Parts: sequence; C-alpha cells; structure tokens
Amino acid sequence: MTETIAETQTETVPKGRYSGKVDIGLKTPKYLVELAQVSKHFGSNHVLKGVSLRVKPGEVCSIIGPSGAGKSTLLRCINLLETPDSGNMVVAGQYVDLGKPQDRRALLSLRRNVGMVFQSFNLFPHLTVMDNIALPQRRVLKRTEAEAKEHGMELLERVGLADKADSYPAKISGGQQQRVAIARALALEPKAMLFDEPTSALDPELAQEVLTVMKEVASSGMTMLVVTHEMNFARNVGDHLVVMEDGAIIEEGDPEQIMSDPAQERTRQFLAAVINH
Amino acid sequence: MNTFEFWGDNFPQMLAGMGVSLQLTLGALVMGIPLGLLLALGVSSKLRLLRWVCLALVEVGRGAPALVVLYVVYYGLPVLKLSPEAMTCAYIGLTYTTCAYTSEYIRGGLKSVSPGSIEAAHALAMPGLDVLRFIIIPQGLRVAIPSLMGFAIQIFQATSLTYSITVREVTAVSYSVASQTFRALEIFTLAGIMYAIITIPASWLTNKVEQRLTLRH
Ligand SMILES: Nc1ncnc2c1ncn2[C@@H]1O[C@H](COP(=O)(O)OP(=O)(O)OP(=O)(O)O)[C@@H](O)[C@H]1O
Ligand SMILES: [Mg+2]
Repeated sequence: MTETIAETQTETVPKGRYSGKVDIGLKTPKYLVELAQVSKHFGSNHVLKGVSLRVKPGEVCSIIGPSGAGKSTLLRCINLLETPDSGNMVVAGQYVDLGKPQDRRALLSLRRNVGMVFQSFNLFPHLTVMDNIALPQRRVLKRTEAEAKEHGMELLERVGLADKADSYPAKISGGQQQRVAIARALALEPKAMLFDEPTSALDPELAQEVLTVMKEVASSGMTMLVVTHEMNFARNVGDHLVVMEDGAIIEEGDPEQIMSDPAQERTRQFLAAVINH
Repeated sequence: MNTFEFWGDNFPQMLAGMGVSLQLTLGALVMGIPLGLLLALGVSSKLRLLRWVCLALVEVGRGAPALVVLYVVYYGLPVLKLSPEAMTCAYIGLTYTTCAYTSEYIRGGLKSVSPGSIEAAHALAMPGLDVLRFIIIPQGLRVAIPSLMGFAIQIFQATSLTYSITVREVTAVSYSVASQTFRALEIFTLAGIMYAIITIPASWLTNKVEQRLTLRH
C-alpha cells in the first residue's frame, strides 16, 4: 500500500521536503496527519497540485499563503468536505485512498477524529449555545442529554462562556461565537483540529480572545492545522509553518527560521505584504 | 323578525357549520403540511424519478383550482369502486391542495438554510439524516412559518368550496337557510362576519410572528 502515485512523482518535490509517501507501517504512528500527493481540480482549475504534508501528534502547523493558494481546499480535503481527485492520507491512524469514493462509515469515523473551525463560525442559529455543543455529542457520541450538557458546561467554562449557555448565537459577539464553535468541536474529543482563518472575520480585540483560546487548546496537546494570517500566532504558537502558493507548498519548516530568513523569494514577498498590512 | 333575531335563530346551526369548516381546515393542515414536507424533500432529491413524480404532484396540485380537485376526488373515487363520504372526499381534496402549496413554501425555507451550518454539521460527523432532521428541517420550517400561516387562512376560506360536494360547512348551511327563508343577504353577511372573526386575528397573528422571526435573525 506504500506504492503510491507519489513514487513516480518524487522528482517534482523540491529537495529537502517530505517526498509524499504515506507511511502506514508504524505501530505508533509518528504522524497524526499525513497527506501524500493530494490533488484536486475544480473544473479545469487545478487547485491542489499533489500536496504532501506531515503533522506530528501535538504539533501546531500553521498554513499561510496568498488568497487562492488552495489553503482552505487543503483543509477541507482532510475531513473530506471536498473530495480530492487523487492522493492518499492517514489521519489519526485511518488510511484513506483519496482516489476512491469513500464509504459512509469511513467518512463519519474520519470526521469524528477531526474537528473543524470555520472563518464564519457556522453555529446552528436555531439552537442555544449549549444545544450547539450538546447536539453533536448526543447524535455522534450517543451521550445522554445530561452527559452532553455536563461536558458542554465544562467546555464553556474552558472557553470562558459559561454564562452564555442559554443565549442564541445571534445574541453574542463574533469572538464569542467562534469560541463556542471551538468548544463544539472539542466536545467530540477529536484527535486533530482544523482551523480555517478562525479570526479573519473578527475585529482585533475579538480576534485576540479567540487566539487566546486557540493557544490554550494548543498547549493542551491538540494537533492543530491552522490556516491564518496571524503571523504572531504562527511564530509564537506554531511549531511548523507551511507556505502555500498556487496549489502547492513552496516552503515549510520552523516558523522562526522561515519568517526571519525565507528560502523562497515568493515567501519573502508574501511575508512583507502581510506584515506591512 | 329583525336581522338580529334572524341571526340568533340560525346561529346554532351556523356555529355547527363553522365547526365543520374549522375541522376541515385543521385536518387539511395536520395531514397536508407533513406531506408537503415530504414533497419538498422529494422535489429536492437527487433521485430523478422521485424528483419528477413529486414535482408533478406539486405542479398539478397548485395548478388545479381547489374546487376542481374536490370534484375529481368526489366523482373519481366512486369510479375506483370506493364510496367515501363527502367529508372524507373533502379531507382528501383539501389535504392534496395543502400539501402541494405548502411543499413550495417549505422548499423555499429549506433552501434558505445557511450552507455554513449544514457544512458544520457534516464536519461534526453528523450522519446525513441527522443533518436533515436537526439542522435543515428545523431552520427551514421556521423560515416557512409565516407563509404556512398565511396559507392556513387561505385554506380555511377554501373549505367553503366543499359546499359544492355536499359538506355541511358554514357556507352550505347559509345557502340552505337562504333558500328556505329568502333572506340570503342577511345570512351570508352573518357567514362573512363569522369568517372574518377568525381570519382577521389570524392575519394579525401571522404578521406578529413574521416580525418576531425576522427580528431573531
Ligand atoms: N467550491 C469551489 N468551486 C470552484 N472553485 C473553487 C471552489 N472553492 C475554491 N475554489 C477555487 O480554488 C482555488 C483555491 O481556493 P481556496 O479557497 O482553497 O484558496 P485559499 O488559499 O483558501 O484562499 P483565501 O486566502 O482567499 O481563503 C481558488 O482559485 C478558488 O477560486
Ligand atoms: Mg480560504
């Protein structure tokens, strides 16, 4: 099964980077998320051009890059909100051949292990904050209402919103909504969390309270993939930095290293644009 | 006998007729709205045959006047060697009209559900049926409530058509009183007042609900 399409294409991957071969032989996986040669088209638009990436357990991997680079699409392929054309991946021990149609059970078990936080929060507007967090626990983990609420309350306390349990999403601020969305995802006890520009829709102060929560989640040992424009977060909280452009990873490595001395001219330009912004 | 005495004398049977009208309205809504929901889901289905069958049912139900539907049921069922009572025919006809119309209101509501909340539910590993049941349908129905309430008023008025298939609802009662007493204007005025006593507060309530729902979001 390690015979992947990657093998024929290793030459296209710049030297020094992961070659794009899923390693599923290990008993205790070294990586919690491994992507190999993930490719995706939207019509004739080649949005992901064989992306390979490895994220260790507990690692915070920040993904940056210009608009249209394919960052969101990459995250959405990991929990199969988008269906890639080809490639394969191992997520929390589950091997997925991306070229094939996924069966329902495999799809749901993958998503159970991977939480996602969206730029636009996406809370359920017809449910209270508590029910937003309790409903998925009841339906997905088959927790009782009482268990789900007890667990929900602990999480609301953790994100500092215990007093908002009975509010509707429309009645709380964007930053608060995003913290609820994080609590809702955490409630399913995922093995990894995907964040797609979680603070981009927020004013700086509100963004800060979300970043604080994310930092706490990171320090609890959660494996995180974070698409972000928050360079401070990527530098101070992130363990690994991935720079994407035009459907490919153009550079990756230690955040500090890349930010102070990028190897690629494109990275330098991008960083200059973001930091001067 | 002045008008008020005339109204007083006939009020008990008019009230009984109004009872029948309300019963028909309630029955058509209780049976028609869930069927309307199923039709709305069918019309949105990926299965082409199911989609077409549901679409045909909806379009015919909306295209044909409620009176014609009632006649088709009333004269059609005996052809199939069934001989249901007029009241049963009225329930069937009005329920069909109700499900055809409400399916469109409900479909509009379902379509208005924010894709973000649906996507979040999928990302949270909720199975497709759960997403429909807990996320899409509750939000969609909420949006459809004002138009469903508006429709309820219309179908209440449409129950008067069942007089033509011999149902003793309030219009039929008025008609027979008129033919016995020749005081048609007075008795139909009373019928009109009785309808209005129900529809005016109902419209007012519909507006209130609509305002509240738009404020919430
Ligand atoms: N559902 C879709 N249908 C068609 N094209 C899409 C779709 N989603 C994304 N694309 C295209 O894919 C490319 C990559 O989009 P993507 O959203 O992944 O970029 P991004 O790096 O997240 O950008 P941004 O920083 O603007 O969020 C873009 O050219 C975009 O237009
Ligand atoms: Mg994006």
